[in-house]
Amino acid sequence: MERRKTLRFAAIFAILALIAAACGGDEGGEGDGDGGGDETYTIGVSNTLVGNGWREQMICAIKAEATASGVVDEVVVINENADMTGQIGHIETLISQGVDAIIINPTDREGLNSVIEEAISQGIVVVAVDQAVTADGAFVVTNDQEEYGYLGAKWLFEQLGGEGNVVEMRGIDGVPADTDRHNGFMRALEEFPGITVVEETFTGWDPSVGAEQALNIITTQEVDGIWTSGIDYTVVEQFQSADIPFVPVVGADNNGFVEQLIELDGLTGAAVTNPPAIGGVGTAIAIDALQGNDPDQTTTLTPEVFDHTEQDQLEELYDPDQQVGWSTYVEIDPYTSYEASAVSACQGPGEG
Amino acid sequence: MTTARLGSVRDVDWRVALRRYGWNTGVWLLLIALLVFYASTIPSFGSFQIASIAKNSLPLVFLAIAQAVIVIAGGIDLAVGSMLILSNAVAAQLMDEQAFGITLMVAVLVILMAAALNGAVGWVISVSKVPDIVVTLATLFIIAGLALLVLPSPGGGTSDGFRALFTGSATGTGTNFWPALVMLFVPMLGAAWWMKHSRTGLSLYATGSDPTAAYLSGVNTARAKIVSYAVGGAFAAMGGLASLAITGSGESRFATASNFTLKSVAAIVLGGVALTGGIGSVVGAAAAGIVLFVLSPVLSAMGVDPNTAQVIQGALIVLVMMIAGIVQLRRERAA
Repeated sequence: MERRKTLRFAAIFAILALIAAACGGDEGGEGDGDGGGDETYTIGVSNTLVGNGWREQMICAIKAEATASGVVDEVVVINENADMTGQIGHIETLISQGVDAIIINPTDREGLNSVIEEAISQGIVVVAVDQAVTADGAFVVTNDQEEYGYLGAKWLFEQLGGEGNVVEMRGIDGVPADTDRHNGFMRALEEFPGITVVEETFTGWDPSVGAEQALNIITTQEVDGIWTSGIDYTVVEQFQSADIPFVPVVGADNNGFVEQLIELDGLTGAAVTNPPAIGGVGTAIAIDALQGNDPDQTTTLTPEVFDHTEQDQLEELYDPDQQVGWSTYVEIDPYTSYEASAVSACQGPGEG
Repeated sequence: MTTARLGSVRDVDWRVALRRYGWNTGVWLLLIALLVFYASTIPSFGSFQIASIAKNSLPLVFLAIAQAVIVIAGGIDLAVGSMLILSNAVAAQLMDEQAFGITLMVAVLVILMAAALNGAVGWVISVSKVPDIVVTLATLFIIAGLALLVLPSPGGGTSDGFRALFTGSATGTGTNFWPALVMLFVPMLGAAWWMKHSRTGLSLYATGSDPTAAYLSGVNTARAKIVSYAVGGAFAAMGGLASLAITGSGESRFATASNFTLKSVAAIVLGGVALTGGIGSVVGAAAAGIVLFVLSPVLSAMGVDPNTAQVIQGALIVLVMMIAGIVQLRRERAA
């Protein structure tokens, strides 16, 4: 009995194997037809932080810009939680799949250089968005993270009159954007000797983790202000649930936080822009490079600061149809060519 | 007169072999099918792709072997992922800016350290009689914490030669696939041979399938437990070293540890190792480790929504568990 069962087993596996292989053959046949003719491109994307609203919107901006450009026929997205080792695998997979350009949000400034240089040597355009890499020949498109840290911290310290206890809620330790923001934060701190940092946390850019940390902090000690690396609306919510008066909070241009700045009485705060639409900018630059237009090797977007006194601008940014984590600052001149709604739709070429 | 008897013996052997190796063969066939399918969806499949898949699946393969050895002996180690990042962190700190010879010595040292540490965990389990899952849940956090102490933020390094040893290239990326394949198959076959042919290896199977019976027939079950954890720790360290060779610098993130632990359990289940112990082999688990790695490029090549990819991985595990359950049920009925 059991022997026969196992035999059947091996047979089923073998049949599955053959079916899979046969399907593969078909796909390959179709794929061959695409090559020549009009100049259309395939763009590969590697993202290593899944389920994060900012990153998802970044991918949507890449898809929206690829669709709007009209010259991209496919966007291949590898969206999988991974460390540096994993991302090297992502990039090698994209090279293997024959993409024309690779857009990555890198996990490390230097660790990916050799695989990026390998891609470039095979004629692939590589664009690092959001965070920088130092690889030769890679395009780098970033929000100025040091200014992000500096401008927000400076706003907070001025708001406190240069004196008080603040909390620094950072992102992920060792990630370049976090290091840069921290450097900017420290630069502002040097200008205000009366400010003391009483607590430094790493939220992992996870709203629920940030919320838990914030609740612990505000219920156990006196703080005068909180600087966050973009985990903002859940921090504000903790003041509400613990019934503690608001202190000034610095966050990003998240929809939920912008809404709080508009609607909550007594909340002072500043939204510092850190647009995930940088993915769209990176796509525009990748396409430019593919078409031989020789774009700048590095592009840096300086953040803007909107605080609770600028209600008009905040209302313009606020999008009632979007979820709380949605970044409100979507269209970036002169790079992006999509409509804001295309980012919400989140469809690449040929999808939907 | 002997020919007839020989013939029948051989016949039985053949069937026994099939029963014994049926699952392994199935998993390897599944892997080959996936690779053939993948090769046909991408423009070219050559040495770069082979090298890429072979080296990038190394960390998970080693971890799958580690988990398989421990589970076969009747335990389960939720801390293998932590052991991977701890070994990665220690090695990255000690190997930074060192010559090839020194890095090799450090590698041996790290493997021995991990074996000793994990052997101690096995000892605690066998002495305290606290279930494996509880003890190793605690060590998952403790060992990951140690890794963060050793390497608070990404950094450290290794020698070019050490990177080439695992990846075939001093830069970690290239077309020379032989070193990665050797690293894949030699430790795997070594562990498989040891498990099936050495006294100690067989004592792990005996302990895993029925600790009381094993004990009564003279097997030192406490020793088997400690040995299984030590060998598992050594293989987890190999995973950390492979990861260091691939990236060229160290990284100790808790998310990596927990992710790898979960994947190692998924790999052994898919690889035909029974969670109840005593059944399965490291060969199947290793193949399943590669399958789990290859699944992601394959799904992305098929244009499957990346968010669906994880669902498919999960569904695959459930499916395998159900099939394994049915097989088990049939066996019991037949017996």
